[in-house]
Amino acid sequence: MDVAENQTLVEKWSEEFHGRQAPNGPGWLQELRDKAAAQFGISGLPGRKHEAWKYTPMRLLEGLNPSTDEPAESVHSSASFPAPVTVASSATVTVCNGVLAPELPQTLAGVTLLPLAAGVQAFEKPLRSLLSAVELDGASRVFSALNTAFLDQGLVIHVSENIKAGTLLIQWAFSREEVAVLGNFRLVVLLERGAELEIVEQFESETNTAGALNVLVQADLGEASVLKHLRVQNESDEVVLLTSTSVEQAAGSFYRYSGFDLGGGLVRHELDATLAGDEAHVSLDGAFVLDGKRHVDNHVSVDHASPGCSSSQFFRGVLGGKSRGVFNGRALIRPGADGSSVRQSNANLLLSPLAEIDTKPELEIYADEVEASHGATVGQLDEAAVFYMRTRGLTDEEARRMLTSAFCHAVSDRLEDRGLADRISEMMDRAMPSGGLTAQES
Amino acid sequence: MLEVRNLHATVGGKPILKGLSLEIGDGEIHAIMGPNGAGKSTLGNVIAGRDGYEVTSGEVLYKGKDLLELEPEERACEGVFLAFQYPVEIPGVNNTYFLRAALNAQRKYRGEPEYDSMQFLKLVREKLEILHISDDLMHRAVNEGFSGGEKKRNEIFQMAVLEPSLAILDETDSGLDIDALRLVAEGVNRLRSEDRSMIVVTHYQRLLDYIVPDVVHVLSDGKIVASGDAKLALKLEEEGYAWLEDGGIKALGAGAGA
Repeated sequence: MDVAENQTLVEKWSEEFHGRQAPNGPGWLQELRDKAAAQFGISGLPGRKHEAWKYTPMRLLEGLNPSTDEPAESVHSSASFPAPVTVASSATVTVCNGVLAPELPQTLAGVTLLPLAAGVQAFEKPLRSLLSAVELDGASRVFSALNTAFLDQGLVIHVSENIKAGTLLIQWAFSREEVAVLGNFRLVVLLERGAELEIVEQFESETNTAGALNVLVQADLGEASVLKHLRVQNESDEVVLLTSTSVEQAAGSFYRYSGFDLGGGLVRHELDATLAGDEAHVSLDGAFVLDGKRHVDNHVSVDHASPGCSSSQFFRGVLGGKSRGVFNGRALIRPGADGSSVRQSNANLLLSPLAEIDTKPELEIYADEVEASHGATVGQLDEAAVFYMRTRGLTDEEARRMLTSAFCHAVSDRLEDRGLADRISEMMDRAMPSGGLTAQES
Repeated sequence: MLEVRNLHATVGGKPILKGLSLEIGDGEIHAIMGPNGAGKSTLGNVIAGRDGYEVTSGEVLYKGKDLLELEPEERACEGVFLAFQYPVEIPGVNNTYFLRAALNAQRKYRGEPEYDSMQFLKLVREKLEILHISDDLMHRAVNEGFSGGEKKRNEIFQMAVLEPSLAILDETDSGLDIDALRLVAEGVNRLRSEDRSMIVVTHYQRLLDYIVPDVVHVLSDGKIVASGDAKLALKLEEEGYAWLEDGGIKALGAGAGA
């Protein structure tokens, strides 16, 4: 995409921003929207020259409008939602084309679930500080700026001190056959001291459904709180997802992310955790199993800002067809974050000569007594193992399938819930590239 | 059971087997000995069908069929088993799961009903008991992190479950201490039967103290240069391989048939 087209799209979005009727809310919120709109007008879209977006082209965004004027009821009445990822005793929230369902589930005492506007009223102080903290400057932040400029649709989850909130399932869906709208949505999670919550995000539209979403998740983890976050993405080819998850962790808190990207046309996920308090821990696991022309980009970053924290990044990719995967894993150990432990591993299997993986570990250490390990590998299946398995009676294809499957199950096997791990493993097996499993001509 | 006629094979274009002939009857155990580089492991790999081992002339008949025509998995399903010198580690693939998939692939090929997990576990328990192997190997990934002895025992265990008609044990004794060697050999002896033939490829005579062969062949420079009974192995142990270049061993082996 050249500069002129970039300009057109941004101009179009700017016009839409100025032409629309501003949603209600306090003055500071409107100021924030205006500031963000001005910023994306200045920044434009990222191109190949922007390091953070080097591998992910923007051409799929052409023609998108960044908001919808339809009322939520009509959007939701025409939507079909996927069968939910089975999680015991979960409440479900649905978001279609980036619009929150009018009905929210009942919650336990100590757990509050509100649409963004009501959430801003109920929790104004923490929300103002969180919403204002989003970085908006520069082309690499242009989707955060866009999301903030159109800040309207969203959900606020608040869990009070020491409450174990259980599981909230968020189902994202699309009801259109063409990509026309880039839905902007904000999810804010506030966990007080000692609170616990599990969020399951499911992206799984029916085939022939198209859509684009720009979702910002912001989580503020109080002392000793626990957030478990499972994301299962099995979208159709016509879906564009630009998502960002940003987690701020107080002392002793734990954030655990497990993400599975099995579909989507263009998917970009920025996952950032800041270990702000002592002895906070974060574990970020991900698998991507891609075929066809899918493009999945995971940009993961952990900021060790306090001593005694640990972080782990464990990502595996299997790529067939003409698919492309990107893994950028960064860990920053700031001065004073002594005694930090950082582990990072990204291994990838390329099953087709036309598939591509770009993997880049970045480790920056400015503290003492840090324990750090990192590794990134790209390879093909072990031919010695394939032969060994064939001498026991398995066909070439069965052997390759079994090896590939075991390779990515290494991620699902890290889930605590065995039943859930098995179901996700099966989903990964179904997503496995078929054409690329036979031996490659060398 | 197996007839190898004038087999010539190359590896990476280099001739390794140069006219090897061999005939093994039902239930017989043949030992193949010889110096490094004689082609011992090549024979096993050619019979199992490994890529990169090219047969340039000769034939291999197994139960009267042309074995070289078949894919490696078809050979396995027909009852040919290679116990690897270096069993391959397969991270993430559970040993029990793998072996059940392999057994069922073979049963399916032969038109037999597949085993469900209960039937398979029953079979596994029987075989573990016969071989005196503890079941902790079954819960681990195939060969991953196994000691040398565990890997070799796992090969013999696979053989016990898959029940081949022809097993080739490729230097099954290498890297084993004497206790592990005895355990593996005992396992092999329990699997001896009238309808199962074996080729035991070894560098040293000591394995043959435990697995007593019907016939011993000496392989040198891609050909069998001498054959005899179990006593030939003892002679080799005493005198080494160096003197076979003089032709002295030919006289010794002249009376024995293969």
